[in-house]
Amino acid sequence: MKVFLCIVILFSLYSCIEISDDITIHNDGSGTFRYKINLSESKIKVNSILALDSIDGKPVPSIAQISSKVNEFVRLLDAQAGISNVLVEENYTDFIFKFSCDFTSIKQLQDAIRLSIAQISKDKLTSPADQYWLSWDGNTLTRNIPSYLTQQIKSYKIQEVELLKEGVYTSIARFDRPVVSFQNKTATLSKNQMAVMVRANTFALKENQHLLDNTITLAPK
Amino acid sequence: MTHSTFRLSCLIAFSFFSAIIWAQLKAIRSEQLIPKDAVTVFSINNISLLQKIAMDDLVTYEFMAEVHQELFDGSTSNKTLKDAGLDFDQRLNLFYGKTNHFELTGFTFGVANKSQLFEVFDDFQTFKTDISGLEVYGTFFNNLLIKDQQALLIRIEPTMQYIDEVTDSIWYARGNEMPFDFFEQASDAQEGTILEEEPYEDNPNANLFPEATEDPLVKNYYELRDSVQVMLQSAELNRVLQEIFVEGQNLFDTDARLSAQIAHGAEGAFYLDNARNIDRAQGLWYFQTVLPSLYHDLQELYAGNVILGDLFLRENHIDFEVEAQYGPALGSIYSELNDAKFDASVLDYIPSTSPAYFTYNINLQKAYEQAYEVLLPLLSDEKNAQIAMNVLTLELLNEFINKDAIFDTYKGSMFGTFNGVKKVNTKKIIFTYDEETFEYQETETETMTDMPIFTLGFSTSRPDIAQLVLKHMSRLTSRVQHFDNYWRIDNAILDAAPLYIIQTDKLLILSNDEDLARFHSNGYGKASLNKKQRKAAKNSGFMFGKVDITQTLDRFPTEVLTPRNAEIVTSLKGKSGQLELTSTATNQSHTQFKLSYQFEGEETPGEHLLDLINSLYVVYTMNP
Repeated sequence: MKVFLCIVILFSLYSCIEISDDITIHNDGSGTFRYKINLSESKIKVNSILALDSIDGKPVPSIAQISSKVNEFVRLLDAQAGISNVLVEENYTDFIFKFSCDFTSIKQLQDAIRLSIAQISKDKLTSPADQYWLSWDGNTLTRNIPSYLTQQIKSYKIQEVELLKEGVYTSIARFDRPVVSFQNKTATLSKNQMAVMVRANTFALKENQHLLDNTITLAPK
Repeated sequence: MTHSTFRLSCLIAFSFFSAIIWAQLKAIRSEQLIPKDAVTVFSINNISLLQKIAMDDLVTYEFMAEVHQELFDGSTSNKTLKDAGLDFDQRLNLFYGKTNHFELTGFTFGVANKSQLFEVFDDFQTFKTDISGLEVYGTFFNNLLIKDQQALLIRIEPTMQYIDEVTDSIWYARGNEMPFDFFEQASDAQEGTILEEEPYEDNPNANLFPEATEDPLVKNYYELRDSVQVMLQSAELNRVLQEIFVEGQNLFDTDARLSAQIAHGAEGAFYLDNARNIDRAQGLWYFQTVLPSLYHDLQELYAGNVILGDLFLRENHIDFEVEAQYGPALGSIYSELNDAKFDASVLDYIPSTSPAYFTYNINLQKAYEQAYEVLLPLLSDEKNAQIAMNVLTLELLNEFINKDAIFDTYKGSMFGTFNGVKKVNTKKIIFTYDEETFEYQETETETMTDMPIFTLGFSTSRPDIAQLVLKHMSRLTSRVQHFDNYWRIDNAILDAAPLYIIQTDKLLILSNDEDLARFHSNGYGKASLNKKQRKAAKNSGFMFGKVDITQTLDRFPTEVLTPRNAEIVTSLKGKSGQLELTSTATNQSHTQFKLSYQFEGEETPGEHLLDLINSLYVVYTMNP
């Protein structure tokens, strides 16, 4: 009965996802990274999928299994060099997931995420160790999606990107001092001039991963 | 002409025509090449309908998937069945069978032009055979046998279980040790342990295949298994060929039910020997080995269980008439199950515009009592502790439980509707960012979400029991609320949308349709099914179903189905028309069903016929 209901409900539901990354960089290069995924508008669909045994012939994990994987990721990330205060909030009623951690340098943050993902998925590291999507020289933050990642994203099947069609991706960078300039024309500056936001449709982002690329220059110290 | 000359002429003429008639009688027909082990057969009579079907389109059907490998390649481009040298005066018979050790698939057909045939089947090589008059051709997977202008294309595969059994037997008999040590090593690694990154080549677990032995003449396990597979395949093929072409045994001549069905002259005939299908189901292995006498009883119970069908092709219309035959024991349960009075009040709750709906009308109490009478003695005879305990529990429950209350609460009749997609109110959280600092907040807002609207209703003569449950639930949680004509359970549908429960004197209805609960709790009145639709449902035995293909199947999310089930739905997607399922009254020997497929559009009837055959093939080749 439960499965029947889920199948019926999945008939024509569209999906919507809201993703947000939010990085705060202090003058000394340390900072806080926050990442949020909001699936509340798709919760009927997510609940329907979770109620099924399998989808596309692949088993659907239970909430307990998902939670266990999330906690394993937190444990792995917390153990990486330069990472502290790893926090995760899981809301399985509205399907909102929030993650945050403090870091001592942008490079260490990226290494830690890369290593933790590789360990949790038991995959070998596929990304070149010298390719980063963020770089910080004390005055300028550059965000540039490396080519190996864009290739990977392009290879996703169409069925997997249905979820993205109505979605929004928000990327925010915050600083201790005012922003002087930024290159991305779709970006906006906060009124206090200390934060830059770029928003993009998730489907458009899948097609062109460089929509979030930006170079932000700060006022001298 | 003298009298004696006239007599002689008559004698010669008689002899001549007798010889022709004898030759025709003796000549085999394509259906006489169907192996005895075939469990499912689709026989297409009017195959001239298929002349315009392109070969490349044909191989896209699932029923061709098993045999099309290496069969159709570049040589089939721009060719139709007509170009393939088939004899359109003969039947095309598709078959599928499964024994305890083998699976066999294929089709039989008449050959009109052999050279045309081999232009299409150009990968086949000629093989020698001792069977007189038989031509044998083959590829790695498929075998083509031609005799007297009749052809059998067959593929035989031993089951993996059987291959492993034989291989293991030979492997260990030769004094070899277990070849799977590396699996144990792999499973010894504790889950969750993070392994150091290491090159693939150095990983001992990566070496999944055993090294070749030092002596090239001695096979390793996998080489042995490949050889076993080929030998089993070859031996079974020889056995089947001997059976058909030497001993003259085939399914058509040995099962009168198939030959009678084919004699109907419908465009298509369908045969499924459910008794053999069930007998060879993997799930019965436990009974076969651990509880042999119960297994024997089950075989007897299912004896004579066969599903026979006729496909009639009419203008924009295909009728599939099916008869499910069964033995007296099962028949007694089915006939009691169907001895129920149709509750016409369910029809008031089905709107005439509903894209898909069904009614189901059975007498659960009578069926329970009959099943208790038939099945319990089978179980009671079994000398097994677990079954004995289950029988005792069943008998005690039967004595102590108020069965009348149970079967009055759920009387067995039900209906269901899919009423399209409507917008329903749900809540969502959105992230908002203030302009000053871009700090974010979470705000709960209402949103309209597309929701398929469905309703399920059950007949009951004890509405007080459902009321009792709901009344107490409403005391426990505020999510359950009572309104004038209905109950509402908030967030009951996947934690997001409300479920409405409508209780009448005769029905208990569950729906996510607020409109039904608020404004139509006494039924849709004039907007419900019209007289013609009501009559069709009422006169349709124990079940009736109607589906508008465009409005329902096209929206069906096939990703939630197993790949095999998804094939069925996918094969009907993109079509237009109506499917209507009706059944006639059931008696102790059979139940009759009719599936009517009314289509629109410009596709040829042949394509629609293949679509339907394809769907049926996928359904019936699944294990029960």
